[in-house]
Amino acid sequence: MSDERFPDEGEGADADASASGPAGDLERALASLMTPAPLGFAAGVLRAAGVAPERYDTYTEVATAAGVLYVAHRGGAVTGAALASAAGGATGFEEAHRGRAGRSAIPAAAVPAGLRTAVRTGRFAKLPLDLGPVQARMAAVLTAVRAVPRGQLRPASWVAREAGLTGPGAVLEVLAANPVQVLVPSYRVTDEDGLPYDLGHGAAAGDALRRAEAVDVERVVELARQRTVFLGSDTTHIYCHPTCAHARRITPRHQVPFRSAGQARLAGYRPCKSCRPAA
Amino acid sequence: MAGGNRTRARGVPAVMDSTAELTSDTADLLAADLTDGFTELVRLHASAVHAFLLRISGSPTVADDLGQDTFLKAYTALRDYPPERRRALRPRAWLLVIAANTWRNHVRTAARHPVAAAPVEESCVALSDGSPGPEERAANALDRDVLTTALLELPEQQRIAVVLRHVIGMSYAEAAQVLDCPVGTVKAQVSRGLARLREVVGPAAVTWQEARGA
Repeated sequence: MSDERFPDEGEGADADASASGPAGDLERALASLMTPAPLGFAAGVLRAAGVAPERYDTYTEVATAAGVLYVAHRGGAVTGAALASAAGGATGFEEAHRGRAGRSAIPAAAVPAGLRTAVRTGRFAKLPLDLGPVQARMAAVLTAVRAVPRGQLRPASWVAREAGLTGPGAVLEVLAANPVQVLVPSYRVTDEDGLPYDLGHGAAAGDALRRAEAVDVERVVELARQRTVFLGSDTTHIYCHPTCAHARRITPRHQVPFRSAGQARLAGYRPCKSCRPAA
Repeated sequence: MAGGNRTRARGVPAVMDSTAELTSDTADLLAADLTDGFTELVRLHASAVHAFLLRISGSPTVADDLGQDTFLKAYTALRDYPPERRRALRPRAWLLVIAANTWRNHVRTAARHPVAAAPVEESCVALSDGSPGPEERAANALDRDVLTTALLELPEQQRIAVVLRHVIGMSYAEAAQVLDCPVGTVKAQVSRGLARLREVVGPAAVTWQEARGA
């Protein structure tokens, strides 16, 4: 059991030699005393120095199905968010936030109102965001993605249409650099076959987040394999995105698969008004 | 040496970049926008300043208070510095000189107004940043307590030298700048400090093994 503390200690004759070496056990034990400042210390310093709160952001950790999410905020609005796994730890998040927002992100305990509820319920559309002056295109994409309901998926072409853009290319560009991971749920955006892109946060995190929202991940893959893009109901003659709450209520006996909106229209089906599979 | 160059009394040193070493982004930022530079200074160096004071004093409360004083003194001093002087700063070494002076002032004051010493504790509440989890921390807790206590028993100069070099991870040259003495002196102090620590920690490690093992 000597290994945990002083890994070389138990090796008898070498103990002295290693202890006097350039990076011996004692040196390593001392280095482990370099602990981060307690939460709130840095923010307390800035407050005591009288630095105006709008000159910096604070950030906090929130637990999600995909692990720790760092959330920076200022004046009650979220200014940036990234999963620890994608950001490269707290330091990576701080550097990236500084690069994008132009303000320091200071660790603190305060959480913006509504954040915990939004994370718990998966309803992000009304969470206040403050991304500063962003391109209109980016703002439109982020708004559209935020409108995808919990537990549902939408193709990039749908996001493009909702955002008033011509094609999904611009959508992917924005999502690859999503400045508010998870809270702008880009893990709910898929390709035209229905398979998630998971840009930025990665497939593992995306899977965890979707499963936590009760998305039937296996069924999504199965439908994509069958090239089923929409599901219709032969009792109502309405077709939906397969993850739409209405589509999930169609009993298997009445489900009619479609590969395109055109095919559904030809069969005499109209698009669902809540998931809007076509304009 | 001109009196004005020695600002020890106010606790604010004149650590400037006299070598070819590159100036930091933070120093450039301080020159361009003092408030913005200061927020970065706090973000980047709050942990070093706090850890230094915590390991020197053994008290999280003292580290909190003196850490705050350190940054407030720095901010006040920076306001009076012209931009070129801010740009020439080496922020970490400069802050730690202020921290060390703040600590010495505190010790002097405390000697005049003695109060009961706060117990040595670990401050664990911090954002997780690849730092050891609860289990790992429990396994390390024993050494940490012994080691932090042993550190506090070192003579002050040795303790500061050891903390700067091995806890904060400064080079001998940087530590010499903070301590305002020749590099050789720092090396000697660190070496003597480590030898003392080994005397205390070494036998203790053996005792734990016996207590745990067999």
